[in-house]
Amino acid sequence: MTNTLHRRGTKENLANDFVIFVSPAAGVNKEGCAPRIKEFLRICLAQGPVNVGNGEEKPVPAAEWPRLIDRCTDSSSATATFDDPGKVAAVLKALVAADLGLSINISGLADAVDGLCRSAGIVRHSIEHSLGIWGARNRLPADPYLEIHTMCGHGMVSHNLIRKMVEMVKMGKMTSAQAAAYLAKPCSCGAFNPTRARLLIEKMLEVG
Amino acid sequence: MRVDPAKCVGCGNCVPVCTMGVIRVEAGRAVVNEEECVECGTCKRFLRVEGFPAPLVRAVRAVLHTLHLAHEAPPDVCPAGALFQPELEWPRSVRKAFSDPTTKHASTGIGGRGTEEIKTNDVTGRLRNGDAGLIVEMGRPGLGARLAELDRVARAMAELGARFESKNPVTQMMPDPATGALNPEVLNEKVMSAIIEMKVPVAGLPEFLGRLNEVAAGLTSVCSVAVAGRCDPDGSIPYEEIVVKETGFPLSLTSKTNLGLGRPRFGESGVFPTPPDAMPKAPQAGSAAAIGGDAE
Repeated sequence: MTNTLHRRGTKENLANDFVIFVSPAAGVNKEGCAPRIKEFLRICLAQGPVNVGNGEEKPVPAAEWPRLIDRCTDSSSATATFDDPGKVAAVLKALVAADLGLSINISGLADAVDGLCRSAGIVRHSIEHSLGIWGARNRLPADPYLEIHTMCGHGMVSHNLIRKMVEMVKMGKMTSAQAAAYLAKPCSCGAFNPTRARLLIEKMLEVG
Repeated sequence: MRVDPAKCVGCGNCVPVCTMGVIRVEAGRAVVNEEECVECGTCKRFLRVEGFPAPLVRAVRAVLHTLHLAHEAPPDVCPAGALFQPELEWPRSVRKAFSDPTTKHASTGIGGRGTEEIKTNDVTGRLRNGDAGLIVEMGRPGLGARLAELDRVARAMAELGARFESKNPVTQMMPDPATGALNPEVLNEKVMSAIIEMKVPVAGLPEFLGRLNEVAAGLTSVCSVAVAGRCDPDGSIPYEEIVVKETGFPLSLTSKTNLGLGRPRFGESGVFPTPPDAMPKAPQAGSAAAIGGDAE
Protein backbone atom coordinates (compact mmCIF):
# COMPACT_ATOMS: atom_id res chain seq x y z
CA MET A 1 0.00 0.00 0.00
CA THR A 2 1.03 3.56 -0.53
CA ASN A 3 -2.08 4.89 1.11
CA THR A 4 -0.33 7.48 3.25
CA LEU A 5 2.28 8.61 0.75
CA HIS A 6 0.56 10.81 -1.79
CA ARG A 7 -0.95 13.41 0.55
CA ARG A 8 -1.03 16.74 -1.21
CA GLY A 9 -0.61 20.10 0.39
CA THR A 10 1.74 22.89 1.30
CA LYS A 11 4.61 22.77 3.75
CA GLU A 12 2.48 24.83 6.10
CA ASN A 13 -0.68 22.72 6.04
CA LEU A 14 1.26 19.44 6.15
CA ALA A 15 3.32 20.52 9.17
CA ASN A 16 0.91 18.96 11.64
CA ASP A 17 0.05 15.79 9.78
CA PHE A 18 1.79 12.55 10.68
CA VAL A 19 0.65 8.98 10.14
CA ILE A 20 2.42 6.20 11.99
CA PHE A 21 1.68 2.57 11.29
CA VAL A 22 2.93 -0.90 11.98
CA SER A 23 3.51 -3.48 9.25
CA PRO A 24 4.08 -7.13 10.12
CA ALA A 25 5.89 -9.00 7.36
CA ALA A 26 4.28 -12.17 6.04
CA GLY A 27 6.55 -15.14 6.54
CA VAL A 28 8.89 -13.20 8.83
CA ASN A 29 7.21 -11.85 11.93
CA LYS A 30 3.50 -11.76 11.17
CA GLU A 31 2.40 -14.98 12.80
CA GLY A 32 1.34 -14.36 16.38
CA CYS A 33 2.02 -10.61 16.16
CA ALA A 34 -1.41 -9.44 17.35
CA PRO A 35 -0.26 -8.66 20.93
CA ARG A 36 2.52 -6.45 19.56
CA ILE A 37 0.12 -4.68 17.19
CA LYS A 38 -2.11 -3.95 20.16
CA GLU A 39 0.84 -2.67 22.17
CA PHE A 40 1.81 -0.41 19.27
CA LEU A 41 -1.65 1.14 19.23
CA ARG A 42 -1.74 1.50 23.02
CA ILE A 43 1.56 3.40 22.87
CA CYS A 44 0.06 5.66 20.21
CA LEU A 45 -3.19 6.06 22.11
CA ALA A 46 -1.32 7.28 25.19
CA GLN A 47 -0.15 10.32 23.20
CA GLY A 48 -3.54 11.44 21.93
CA PRO A 49 -3.87 10.66 18.23
CA VAL A 50 -6.59 12.32 16.15
CA ASN A 51 -7.46 9.08 14.38
CA VAL A 52 -6.90 5.37 14.88
CA GLY A 53 -7.78 2.39 12.71
CA ASN A 54 -7.07 -1.27 12.36
CA GLY A 55 -7.93 -1.49 8.67
CA GLU A 56 -10.47 -4.22 9.24
CA GLU A 57 -13.58 -2.47 10.46
CA LYS A 58 -15.47 0.76 10.21
CA PRO A 59 -14.02 3.79 11.97
CA VAL A 60 -15.27 4.10 15.54
CA PRO A 61 -15.51 7.09 17.91
CA ALA A 62 -12.46 7.86 20.01
CA ALA A 63 -14.12 6.48 23.12
CA GLU A 64 -14.20 3.06 21.47
CA TRP A 65 -10.57 3.00 20.36
CA PRO A 66 -9.45 0.83 23.30
CA ARG A 67 -11.97 -1.83 22.26
CA LEU A 68 -10.93 -1.50 18.62
CA ILE A 69 -7.38 -2.19 19.75
CA ASP A 70 -8.55 -5.27 21.64
CA ARG A 71 -10.06 -6.62 18.41
CA CYS A 72 -6.81 -6.39 16.41
CA THR A 73 -5.55 -9.60 14.84
CA ASP A 74 -2.34 -10.68 13.15
CA SER A 75 -3.79 -9.26 9.93
CA SER A 76 -4.64 -5.80 11.25
CA SER A 77 -3.00 -2.81 9.63
CA ALA A 78 -2.77 -0.63 12.71
CA THR A 79 -2.50 3.08 12.10
CA ALA A 80 -2.57 6.22 14.22
CA THR A 81 -2.64 9.80 12.98
CA PHE A 82 -1.29 12.80 14.87
CA ASP A 83 -1.62 16.54 14.48
CA ASP A 84 1.37 17.44 16.64
CA PRO A 85 5.02 16.53 15.99
CA GLY A 86 5.68 16.67 19.73
CA LYS A 87 3.32 13.77 20.23
CA VAL A 88 5.01 11.83 17.44
CA ALA A 89 8.36 12.36 19.14
CA ALA A 90 6.94 10.90 22.34
CA VAL A 91 5.49 7.93 20.47
CA LEU A 92 8.83 7.26 18.79
CA LYS A 93 10.66 7.34 22.09
CA ALA A 94 8.20 4.86 23.58
CA LEU A 95 8.35 2.59 20.53
CA VAL A 96 12.13 2.42 20.63
CA ALA A 97 11.97 1.50 24.30
CA ALA A 98 9.24 -1.10 23.69
CA ASP A 99 11.29 -2.79 20.95
CA LEU A 100 8.26 -4.50 19.45
CA GLY A 101 10.27 -6.02 16.60
CA LEU A 102 7.74 -5.09 13.93
CA SER A 103 8.37 -2.74 11.03
CA ILE A 104 7.10 0.74 11.78
CA ASN A 105 6.72 3.57 9.29
CA ILE A 106 5.90 7.26 9.52
CA SER A 107 4.46 9.40 6.77
CA GLY A 108 4.84 13.14 7.07
CA LEU A 109 7.07 16.01 5.98
CA ALA A 110 10.32 14.25 5.10
CA ASP A 111 12.65 16.65 6.87
CA ALA A 112 10.49 16.69 9.97
CA VAL A 113 10.33 12.90 10.15
CA ASP A 114 14.10 12.65 9.66
CA GLY A 115 14.58 15.07 12.53
CA LEU A 116 12.22 13.12 14.74
CA CYS A 117 14.07 9.91 13.93
CA ARG A 118 17.46 11.37 14.76
CA SER A 119 16.15 12.77 18.01
CA ALA A 120 15.05 9.26 18.90
CA GLY A 121 18.43 7.80 17.95
CA ILE A 122 17.19 6.23 14.74
CA VAL A 123 18.74 6.41 11.30
CA ARG A 124 15.92 5.85 8.85
CA HIS A 125 16.14 2.52 7.04
CA SER A 126 14.14 3.03 3.84
CA ILE A 127 12.23 5.88 2.30
CA GLU A 128 9.64 6.56 -0.36
CA HIS A 129 8.67 9.82 -2.06
CA SER A 130 5.80 10.76 -4.29
CA LEU A 131 6.60 12.13 -7.73
CA GLY A 132 3.11 13.51 -8.04
CA ILE A 133 0.12 12.86 -10.25
CA TRP A 134 0.66 12.03 -13.90
CA GLY A 135 -1.78 11.58 -16.76
CA ALA A 136 -5.16 13.24 -17.24
CA ARG A 137 -4.79 15.80 -14.49
CA ASN A 138 -7.40 18.00 -16.12
CA ARG A 139 -10.05 15.58 -14.83
CA LEU A 140 -9.15 16.23 -11.22
CA PRO A 141 -10.82 18.68 -8.86
CA ALA A 142 -9.01 21.77 -7.58
CA ASP A 143 -6.10 21.42 -5.16
CA PRO A 144 -8.03 22.26 -1.95
CA TYR A 145 -10.32 19.28 -2.61
CA LEU A 146 -7.39 17.03 -3.47
CA GLU A 147 -5.66 18.01 -0.24
CA ILE A 148 -8.58 16.58 1.70
CA HIS A 149 -9.23 13.65 -0.63
CA THR A 150 -5.65 12.37 -0.55
CA MET A 151 -5.69 12.00 3.23
CA CYS A 152 -7.47 8.72 2.56
CA GLY A 153 -5.03 7.06 0.20
CA HIS A 154 -7.52 4.33 -0.61
CA GLY A 155 -9.70 7.01 -2.18
CA MET A 156 -12.71 6.40 0.03
CA VAL A 157 -13.45 10.09 0.62
CA SER A 158 -15.11 11.11 -2.61
CA HIS A 159 -14.61 14.47 -4.25
CA ASN A 160 -18.38 14.97 -4.22
CA LEU A 161 -18.69 14.26 -0.50
CA ILE A 162 -16.06 16.91 0.18
CA ARG A 163 -17.99 19.38 -1.97
CA LYS A 164 -21.21 18.56 -0.11
CA MET A 165 -19.62 18.96 3.31
CA VAL A 166 -18.03 22.28 2.38
CA GLU A 167 -21.37 23.44 1.04
CA MET A 168 -23.18 22.44 4.25
CA VAL A 169 -20.68 24.36 6.37
CA LYS A 170 -21.06 27.33 4.07
CA MET A 171 -24.86 27.20 4.52
CA GLY A 172 -24.49 26.99 8.29
CA LYS A 173 -25.96 23.50 8.49
CA MET A 174 -22.96 22.06 10.29
CA THR A 175 -19.66 23.20 11.74
CA SER A 176 -16.33 22.65 10.07
CA ALA A 177 -15.46 20.16 12.82
CA GLN A 178 -18.66 18.17 12.15
CA ALA A 179 -17.92 18.20 8.42
CA ALA A 180 -14.39 16.96 9.07
CA ALA A 181 -15.75 14.16 11.25
CA TYR A 182 -18.11 13.05 8.47
CA LEU A 183 -15.23 13.12 5.98
CA ALA A 184 -13.13 10.90 8.24
CA LYS A 185 -15.85 8.29 8.35
CA PRO A 186 -15.24 6.49 5.02
CA CYS A 187 -11.54 5.96 5.82
CA SER A 188 -11.22 2.61 7.55
CA CYS A 189 -7.44 2.80 8.01
CA GLY A 190 -7.42 5.70 10.44
CA ALA A 191 -5.03 7.68 8.22
CA PHE A 192 -7.42 10.58 7.66
CA ASN A 193 -6.53 13.63 9.74
CA PRO A 194 -9.77 15.37 10.82
CA THR A 195 -7.91 18.30 12.38
CA ARG A 196 -6.23 19.07 9.09
CA ALA A 197 -9.50 18.55 7.21
CA ARG A 198 -11.23 21.07 9.48
CA LEU A 199 -8.50 23.64 8.90
CA LEU A 200 -8.56 23.04 5.13
CA ILE A 201 -12.33 23.49 5.04
CA GLU A 202 -12.05 26.72 7.01
CA LYS A 203 -9.34 27.91 4.64
CA MET A 204 -11.53 27.10 1.63
CA LEU A 205 -14.42 29.10 3.09
CA GLU A 206 -12.12 31.96 3.99
CA VAL A 207 -10.81 32.13 0.43
CA GLY A 208 -14.33 31.78 -0.90
CA MET B 1 -23.10 -2.45 -5.64
CA ARG B 2 -26.77 -2.36 -6.31
CA VAL B 3 -29.82 -0.57 -4.98
CA ASP B 4 -33.00 -2.41 -4.05
CA PRO B 5 -35.71 -0.21 -5.59
CA ALA B 6 -38.26 -1.58 -3.13
CA LYS B 7 -36.23 -0.13 -0.24
CA CYS B 8 -34.87 3.03 -1.83
CA VAL B 9 -36.63 6.25 -0.84
CA GLY B 10 -34.72 8.42 -3.28
CA CYS B 11 -33.13 10.59 -0.58
CA GLY B 12 -29.94 10.85 -2.61
CA ASN B 13 -27.57 10.51 0.33
CA CYS B 14 -25.62 7.83 -1.50
CA VAL B 15 -24.96 10.08 -4.50
CA PRO B 16 -22.12 12.24 -3.09
CA VAL B 17 -20.66 9.35 -1.10
CA CYS B 18 -19.96 7.32 -4.23
CA THR B 19 -16.22 7.41 -4.82
CA MET B 20 -16.67 7.17 -8.58
CA GLY B 21 -19.66 9.52 -8.82
CA VAL B 22 -21.74 6.86 -10.57
CA ILE B 23 -24.90 6.79 -8.45
CA ARG B 24 -27.79 8.95 -9.62
CA VAL B 25 -31.44 9.30 -8.65
CA GLU B 26 -33.93 8.55 -11.41
CA ALA B 27 -37.70 8.53 -10.96
CA GLY B 28 -37.34 8.64 -7.20
CA ARG B 29 -34.90 5.75 -6.90
CA ALA B 30 -31.12 5.60 -6.75
CA VAL B 31 -29.44 3.73 -9.58
CA VAL B 32 -25.85 2.52 -9.78
CA ASN B 33 -24.06 2.63 -13.12
CA GLU B 34 -22.54 -0.80 -12.70
CA GLU B 35 -20.26 -0.43 -15.71
CA GLU B 36 -18.44 2.37 -13.87
CA CYS B 37 -18.83 1.12 -10.27
CA VAL B 38 -15.56 -0.21 -8.82
CA GLU B 39 -17.24 -2.18 -5.99
CA CYS B 40 -15.39 -0.28 -3.27
CA GLY B 41 -18.36 -0.64 -0.91
CA THR B 42 -17.93 2.85 0.54
CA CYS B 43 -21.59 3.77 0.10
CA LYS B 44 -22.77 0.76 2.08
CA ARG B 45 -20.20 1.21 4.84
CA PHE B 46 -20.66 4.97 5.18
CA LEU B 47 -24.45 5.05 5.30
CA ARG B 48 -26.17 3.94 8.48
CA VAL B 49 -29.38 1.99 8.06
CA GLU B 50 -32.20 3.57 10.05
CA GLY B 51 -34.40 0.55 9.54
CA PHE B 52 -37.59 2.41 8.71
CA PRO B 53 -40.01 0.80 6.25
CA ALA B 54 -39.51 2.46 2.88
CA PRO B 55 -43.25 3.05 2.24
CA LEU B 56 -43.52 4.92 5.55
CA VAL B 57 -40.51 7.11 4.76
CA ARG B 58 -41.87 7.89 1.30
CA ALA B 59 -45.29 8.74 2.71
CA VAL B 60 -43.90 11.07 5.36
CA ARG B 61 -41.71 12.77 2.81
CA ALA B 62 -44.67 13.20 0.45
CA VAL B 63 -46.71 14.84 3.20
CA LEU B 64 -43.86 17.16 4.13
CA HIS B 65 -43.41 18.04 0.47
CA THR B 66 -47.10 18.83 0.12
CA LEU B 67 -46.86 21.12 3.13
CA HIS B 68 -43.75 22.77 1.68
CA LEU B 69 -41.75 21.51 4.61
CA ALA B 70 -38.28 20.20 4.09
CA HIS B 71 -36.75 17.30 5.92
CA GLU B 72 -33.02 16.99 5.59
CA ALA B 73 -31.78 13.70 6.95
CA PRO B 74 -28.23 13.42 8.31
CA PRO B 75 -25.86 12.88 5.39
CA ASP B 76 -24.81 9.43 6.57
CA VAL B 77 -28.09 7.53 6.56
CA CYS B 78 -29.81 5.20 4.14
CA PRO B 79 -33.28 5.18 5.71
CA ALA B 80 -34.39 1.69 4.68
CA GLY B 81 -31.06 0.02 3.85
CA ALA B 82 -31.47 -0.11 0.09
CA LEU B 83 -27.84 -0.76 -0.84
CA PHE B 84 -26.70 -4.33 -1.17
CA GLN B 85 -23.61 -6.11 -2.43
CA PRO B 86 -24.39 -8.90 -4.90
CA GLU B 87 -22.12 -11.90 -5.28
CA LEU B 88 -19.34 -10.97 -7.69
CA GLU B 89 -18.07 -13.43 -10.25
CA TRP B 90 -14.77 -13.46 -12.09
CA PRO B 91 -13.55 -11.19 -13.58
CA ARG B 92 -15.76 -8.56 -11.92
CA SER B 93 -14.52 -9.77 -8.54
CA VAL B 94 -11.22 -8.11 -9.41
CA ARG B 95 -12.88 -4.74 -8.92
CA LYS B 96 -13.62 -5.34 -5.27
CA ALA B 97 -10.25 -6.93 -4.59
CA PHE B 98 -8.48 -3.77 -5.74
CA SER B 99 -10.98 -1.17 -4.58
CA ASP B 100 -12.27 -2.19 -1.16
CA PRO B 101 -9.55 -1.82 1.51
CA THR B 102 -11.58 -3.89 3.96
CA THR B 103 -11.31 -6.90 1.65
CA LYS B 104 -8.18 -8.98 2.02
CA HIS B 105 -6.52 -9.63 -1.28
CA ALA B 106 -6.22 -13.37 -1.78
CA SER B 107 -2.70 -13.15 -3.14
CA THR B 108 -1.22 -11.00 -0.38
CA GLY B 109 -3.46 -11.27 2.66
CA ILE B 110 -3.42 -7.46 2.74
CA GLY B 111 -6.43 -5.23 2.28
CA GLY B 112 -7.24 -3.65 -1.08
CA ARG B 113 -4.59 -3.25 -3.72
CA GLY B 114 -1.74 -3.28 -1.25
CA THR B 115 1.57 -4.94 -0.78
CA GLU B 116 4.15 -4.59 1.94
CA GLU B 117 6.63 -2.78 -0.37
CA ILE B 118 9.12 -0.67 1.64
CA LYS B 119 6.98 -0.82 4.76
CA THR B 120 8.73 -4.06 5.71
CA ASN B 121 11.96 -3.50 3.81
CA ASP B 122 13.94 -3.63 7.04
CA VAL B 123 13.07 -7.31 7.44
CA THR B 124 12.36 -8.42 3.86
CA GLY B 125 15.15 -6.68 1.97
CA ARG B 126 12.95 -6.17 -1.07
CA LEU B 127 14.97 -3.13 -1.98
CA ARG B 128 18.70 -3.24 -1.37
CA ASN B 129 21.50 -0.80 -1.97
CA GLY B 130 21.44 0.19 -5.64
CA ASP B 131 17.79 -0.78 -6.10
CA ALA B 132 14.99 1.69 -6.57
CA GLY B 133 11.35 0.88 -6.13
CA LEU B 134 9.24 2.46 -8.84
CA ILE B 135 5.58 2.44 -7.91
CA VAL B 136 2.85 3.51 -10.30
CA GLU B 137 -0.61 3.59 -8.84
CA MET B 138 -3.12 3.69 -11.65
CA GLY B 139 -6.39 5.55 -11.06
CA ARG B 140 -5.28 7.47 -8.01
CA PRO B 141 -6.38 9.95 -6.87
CA GLY B 142 -10.07 9.38 -7.05
CA LEU B 143 -10.72 8.71 -10.73
CA GLY B 144 -10.26 4.96 -10.95
CA ALA B 145 -8.79 3.25 -13.99
CA ARG B 146 -9.50 0.44 -16.41
CA LEU B 147 -6.94 -2.31 -16.14
CA ALA B 148 -6.32 -1.95 -19.88
CA GLU B 149 -4.54 1.31 -19.09
CA LEU B 150 -2.49 -0.40 -16.42
CA ASP B 151 -1.62 -3.09 -18.96
CA ARG B 152 -0.32 -0.43 -21.34
CA VAL B 153 1.92 1.14 -18.72
CA ALA B 154 3.21 -2.18 -17.41
CA ARG B 155 4.10 -3.38 -20.89
CA ALA B 156 6.07 -0.20 -21.54
CA MET B 157 7.99 -0.68 -18.31
CA ALA B 158 8.61 -4.35 -19.08
CA GLU B 159 10.15 -3.39 -22.41
CA LEU B 160 12.79 -1.51 -20.45
CA GLY B 161 13.47 -4.52 -18.26
CA ALA B 162 11.53 -3.64 -15.12
CA ARG B 163 11.25 -6.43 -12.60
CA PHE B 164 7.74 -6.63 -11.20
CA GLU B 165 7.35 -7.46 -7.53
CA SER B 166 6.15 -11.05 -7.39
CA LYS B 167 4.11 -10.53 -4.21
CA ASN B 168 2.15 -7.63 -5.66
CA PRO B 169 -1.45 -8.48 -6.66
CA VAL B 170 -1.05 -6.78 -10.04
CA THR B 171 1.90 -8.99 -10.87
CA GLN B 172 -0.24 -11.98 -9.90
CA MET B 173 -2.48 -11.10 -12.84
CA MET B 174 0.41 -11.27 -15.33
CA PRO B 175 0.67 -14.72 -16.94
CA ASP B 176 4.26 -13.87 -17.84
CA PRO B 177 5.63 -10.99 -15.76
CA ALA B 178 8.50 -10.54 -18.20
CA THR B 179 6.03 -8.98 -20.63
CA GLY B 180 4.01 -6.87 -18.20
CA ALA B 181 0.83 -7.98 -19.96
CA LEU B 182 -2.22 -8.72 -17.84
CA ASN B 183 -4.61 -11.60 -18.20
CA PRO B 184 -6.84 -10.41 -21.07
CA GLU B 185 -9.95 -11.38 -19.11
CA VAL B 186 -9.48 -8.49 -16.67
CA LEU B 187 -8.62 -5.68 -19.05
CA ASN B 188 -12.08 -4.10 -19.11
CA GLU B 189 -12.44 -4.14 -15.35
CA LYS B 190 -12.34 -0.79 -13.60
CA VAL B 191 -10.70 -0.43 -10.20
CA MET B 192 -10.29 2.37 -7.70
CA SER B 193 -6.57 1.97 -8.06
CA ALA B 194 -3.99 -0.71 -8.69
CA ILE B 195 -0.29 -0.55 -8.08
CA ILE B 196 2.41 -1.53 -10.55
CA GLU B 197 5.35 -2.23 -8.28
CA MET B 198 8.75 -2.55 -9.89
CA LYS B 199 12.36 -2.82 -8.96
CA VAL B 200 14.80 -0.96 -11.20
CA PRO B 201 18.42 0.12 -10.79
CA VAL B 202 18.73 3.57 -9.20
CA ALA B 203 20.88 4.55 -12.15
CA GLY B 204 18.11 3.51 -14.52
CA LEU B 205 15.46 5.78 -13.03
CA PRO B 206 15.81 8.54 -15.65
CA GLU B 207 15.10 6.10 -18.46
CA PHE B 208 12.11 4.53 -16.72
CA LEU B 209 10.64 7.85 -15.62
CA GLY B 210 11.10 9.33 -19.07
CA ARG B 211 9.26 6.45 -20.71
CA LEU B 212 6.57 6.53 -18.05
CA ASN B 213 6.06 10.21 -18.70
CA GLU B 214 5.48 9.47 -22.39
CA VAL B 215 2.95 6.72 -21.71
CA ALA B 216 1.14 8.71 -19.00
CA ALA B 217 0.52 11.51 -21.48
CA GLY B 218 -1.87 9.21 -23.33
CA LEU B 219 -3.88 8.03 -20.33
CA THR B 220 -7.54 8.82 -19.94
CA SER B 221 -7.12 8.52 -16.18
CA VAL B 222 -4.35 9.49 -13.79
CA CYS B 223 -1.65 7.71 -11.88
CA SER B 224 0.30 8.59 -8.77
CA VAL B 225 3.98 7.84 -9.11
CA ALA B 226 6.44 7.10 -6.33
CA VAL B 227 10.05 6.13 -5.93
CA ALA B 228 11.51 4.25 -2.98
CA GLY B 229 14.83 2.95 -1.77
CA ARG B 230 17.04 1.66 0.99
CA CYS B 231 18.62 4.67 2.69
CA ASP B 232 22.35 5.20 2.69
CA PRO B 233 24.20 4.47 5.95
CA ASP B 234 23.82 8.05 7.13
CA GLY B 235 20.10 7.99 6.36
CA SER B 236 20.35 10.03 3.17
CA ILE B 237 18.05 9.42 0.24
CA PRO B 238 19.66 7.14 -2.36
CA TYR B 239 17.71 8.38 -5.37
CA GLU B 240 17.45 12.09 -4.58
CA GLU B 241 20.29 13.33 -6.74
CA ILE B 242 19.52 11.24 -9.78
CA VAL B 243 15.78 11.93 -9.74
CA VAL B 244 15.94 15.63 -9.06
CA LYS B 245 19.01 16.53 -11.09
CA GLU B 246 18.70 14.17 -14.01
CA THR B 247 14.96 13.97 -14.51
CA GLY B 248 13.78 17.27 -13.08
CA PHE B 249 10.90 15.62 -11.26
CA PRO B 250 10.71 17.13 -7.78
CA LEU B 251 10.40 14.86 -4.78
CA SER B 252 7.34 15.39 -2.63
CA LEU B 253 7.57 17.37 0.57
CA THR B 254 6.31 14.34 2.43
CA SER B 255 7.73 10.87 2.51
CA LYS B 256 7.05 7.49 3.95
CA THR B 257 9.89 6.45 6.22
CA ASN B 258 10.64 2.93 7.40
CA LEU B 259 12.24 3.36 10.82
CA GLY B 260 14.14 0.10 10.75
CA LEU B 261 12.65 -1.26 13.94
CA GLY B 262 11.61 -4.65 12.52
CA ARG B 263 13.18 -7.95 13.58
CA PRO B 264 14.89 -10.02 12.46
CA ARG B 265 16.68 -7.42 10.37
CA PHE B 266 17.21 -8.58 6.83
CA GLY B 267 20.81 -9.68 6.52
CA GLU B 268 22.36 -9.22 3.12
CA SER B 269 25.91 -9.28 1.96
CA GLY B 270 27.34 -5.99 0.88
CA VAL B 271 25.15 -3.75 3.00
CA PHE B 272 26.72 -0.84 4.76
CA PRO B 273 26.80 -1.20 8.51
CA THR B 274 25.79 2.04 10.12
CA PRO B 275 28.89 3.79 11.43
CA PRO B 276 28.68 5.11 14.97
CA ASP B 277 29.11 8.67 13.77
CA ALA B 278 25.92 8.40 11.75
CA MET B 279 24.02 8.34 15.00
CA PRO B 280 23.55 11.85 16.29
CA LYS B 281 22.49 10.57 19.68
CA ALA B 282 23.50 7.43 21.46
CA PRO B 283 20.85 4.76 20.94
CA GLN B 284 19.25 3.24 23.94
CA ALA B 285 20.90 0.31 25.59
CA GLY B 286 20.25 -3.00 23.94
CA SER B 287 19.05 -1.56 20.66
CA ALA B 288 22.05 -0.01 18.96
CA ALA B 289 22.61 -2.45 16.16
CA ALA B 290 18.93 -3.02 15.63
CA ILE B 291 18.04 0.61 15.29
CA GLY B 292 21.04 1.85 13.46
CA GLY B 293 21.68 -0.44 10.57
CA ASP B 294 22.15 -3.84 9.11
CA ALA B 295 24.92 -5.11 11.31
CA GLU B 296 23.40 -8.53 11.24
